[in-house]
Amino acid sequence: MPDMNEISYLTTKPHSFKSPTWKAPNRRHKPLKQLLSDEQKRLNTHEPPLANDPVTYFSVEAPPSLRPLKVYCDITGLPTTYKAPGSNLRYYDAEVFELIRNIAPGVDQQYLELRAANVILR
Amino acid sequence: MTETPPFTQTVFPLRDFDPATLPSEEPIYRAYAPGVPICIDLGAHSTKIGLANAAVPNNVFPSIVSRWRDRKISQTLTIVGNDVFRDSSVKLAMKTPFDGPMIANWDYIEYMLDYSFEHLGVNSSGGVDNPVVMTEAMGAPHVFRKNMYQLLFEAYNAPTVAFGLDSLFAYHANGGRTGLVVGAGHELTSIIPVVQGRGILTQAKRINFGGHQATTYLSSLLTLKYPYFPTKITAQQAEYLVHDHCYVSPNFHEEIKTALDPDVLQTLDRVIEAPFVEIAKVVKSEEELQKEAEKRREGGRRLQEQAQKLRLEKLVQKEKDYAYYITVRAKMETASKRDVQNMLQGEGFEGEADFKKYMYNLERSLKRSRQGDLGDVEEETPTFPLVDIPDEQLSEEEIREKRKQRLMKSNYDARARAKLEKEEEKRLRDEEIRKDKEWRESDLDGWVAARRARLGELIAKHQVRVKIQREGKDRKSKASQQRMKNIASLADDADANAGGTKRKRVTNSATIDNDPNDTFGANDADWAVYRDINSEAVGADNEEVEEEEREELLKIERELLEHDVQFTQADTFEASFDWKNSTLHKFLRGPSAFDIEDAHHQHQVHLNVERIRVPEIYFQPSIAGLDQAGVCEISEDIVLRRMPSCGFLGDADEMVRDVFLCGGPVLTHGFETRMRNEFTSFLPSGALLRIRTANDPVLDAWKGMAQWANGAGATYVTKKEYEEMGSEYIKEHNLGNPCLI
Repeated sequence: MPDMNEISYLTTKPHSFKSPTWKAPNRRHKPLKQLLSDEQKRLNTHEPPLANDPVTYFSVEAPPSLRPLKVYCDITGLPTTYKAPGSNLRYYDAEVFELIRNIAPGVDQQYLELRAANVILR
Repeated sequence: MTETPPFTQTVFPLRDFDPATLPSEEPIYRAYAPGVPICIDLGAHSTKIGLANAAVPNNVFPSIVSRWRDRKISQTLTIVGNDVFRDSSVKLAMKTPFDGPMIANWDYIEYMLDYSFEHLGVNSSGGVDNPVVMTEAMGAPHVFRKNMYQLLFEAYNAPTVAFGLDSLFAYHANGGRTGLVVGAGHELTSIIPVVQGRGILTQAKRINFGGHQATTYLSSLLTLKYPYFPTKITAQQAEYLVHDHCYVSPNFHEEIKTALDPDVLQTLDRVIEAPFVEIAKVVKSEEELQKEAEKRREGGRRLQEQAQKLRLEKLVQKEKDYAYYITVRAKMETASKRDVQNMLQGEGFEGEADFKKYMYNLERSLKRSRQGDLGDVEEETPTFPLVDIPDEQLSEEEIREKRKQRLMKSNYDARARAKLEKEEEKRLRDEEIRKDKEWRESDLDGWVAARRARLGELIAKHQVRVKIQREGKDRKSKASQQRMKNIASLADDADANAGGTKRKRVTNSATIDNDPNDTFGANDADWAVYRDINSEAVGADNEEVEEEEREELLKIERELLEHDVQFTQADTFEASFDWKNSTLHKFLRGPSAFDIEDAHHQHQVHLNVERIRVPEIYFQPSIAGLDQAGVCEISEDIVLRRMPSCGFLGDADEMVRDVFLCGGPVLTHGFETRMRNEFTSFLPSGALLRIRTANDPVLDAWKGMAQWANGAGATYVTKKEYEEMGSEYIKEHNLGNPCLI
């Protein structure tokens, strides 16, 4: 069992290769959501305005599919055309339908969340 | 029915990270030299670091940092990468600096860089005396570059810095010139066309799905599939499940259709068993069992003896009492009325009737216990000599006796009648069975048809009952609305009965919500109406009828099984619940029976549909709810439309001659085959197609960086340029992002 203190010391000791004047800025943590909105804001208000077709994080985003959407049973993953009224869950056969009929409250939303179709209350 | 030999499946253990596989310590680079470029492939999954004068990165470690406070020495330890796994409490505190594909925590990045430079043996003072090559995301946001420049130039005093895209570096390492680069990463998948060694980023696309999303998706699928699974499947274990068991289906649309067919399932289904401590069952020998049985019998005998003794004691007591009260009674017969009253009160009786009742009961119980001890004696036909003699010829005493005898006689007659009735019933039943047999023997077809019709009736009745039960759960159903109406009227009646006078309803402007006459609920007893109705609805009656019908159903099935050749075990009502016909059973428990008592079965998960469902998301992101086109659709769009429309006419043809796959997830079995199938389907026939996977999909990005840094084309931003041009400035090169300013 190696000494964790030693391992840690290697990272935290004063490093010869670090600038002696370096002081880490205070808050250096931002969640993804904020990073994205900051970047969007920066691009929109860029001075001077950006060229016509700039390569940005948002421009390289893949476009939505143009092919007909294939639907699969939310429970089993098998191809289906049935959709349960009420919960909007897709189901493969009568047996699966019986299951989602008696599904515990909230679980239907968890299944829908897997394909980002759940209801989000704000 | 033909018996298939029992199908046995290989049970895979649930793989987990084993710290024993770690090297005893992270290696420290011995050949450090100032001026040699340092290459850092900073991935969301793992970081690869090394000097460009080496063939492979010196360190490959997961991009995680653990800040853990050791309370014994009251110090916060900062552990990076593989070392995190060396201690379980440190492991619990591990975090990633990434949020999705972006770096969210720059403190952690600084720790990781400190750790990296130390392990690369950097010993220059005042700064890292090497050019630094870094990977960045496609279209990296400004904040990334700003912070990275700041760190590298201001904290580490690096002389020069360059950024590039990991998948393009990997393509470079594999000697690619013109082709389509598909790089699947931990958080995203990118598709970049490359022409003459230059990445055409204006036509490149990113899908927000990678190895991490695949792992989380499988993990959530499993928690929903087995909500009562006894142990938690960790993210690490889920990652191994994806690695070890998932594969890309060569033709998903066809394969998924038959995924749960029994014969397909036998090969598709994988059983994975979580580790658990088995509770050992003590197996007893024959001798021990016999001993135990003997002990039990001995105990029983002793109990019986005790009870017998107790009974005898009681009997003796009763006999004594009886003898005593007989004398009392004899005395009472001669005493005056007042004396009798006194005597009775002295003995603790309320009156003569009470005394008589007591005596009668005593006599009876005495008789019974005497009989019980002697064994059952056949009840002899009693005689009632006084019943037929007219009252006039009898004394008062005898009249009383006669009344008693008459009562006894009617009792006796009733018993005899019941016996007769029973016999008659039995005779009728036998008769019925005989007739039924005759009918069956003379007209088998008719008999079978009638039986089958009755069976159908019973099943239909059962289904109706199930339906009603289900409708009861739904507030809006007709059945429950009718029930609410009934409750309302019942409550109304109860109210009227309780109040004595029925009050007239104020009908104008009164709704069900604000009816002033509606005082239901004011009295707590009102709510009892629900209880009454409930007990009525699911009362014993219903259950009894259900039980009866079920028995009849089983009986008919037995008869049909015996006499109807066309009625087999598979046609029985029970068989319709057979797991072989159950989609859900096959999905949850694979192609074999499930034993809920078996601890092994309890700790097993079955991967079947998931094995192809999870990697399929690269090709159909809509499965995971992503509103983006899949890898192949994007590729098709780039090759057939985007590139030609940009004037790269000949290059599009050339591009499909080198479709290049890199990144960890392309190691998923079948990825290349699927890509080939899909490309073939959209390319014109006869088009030359070549698809290849990187030599080392994980490390080739780093190797490409080293190659690029050692080559002539490497262009760096100097510290002076950074100070002059600001953090938005980068030098454009073939394998990097374009500069926006």
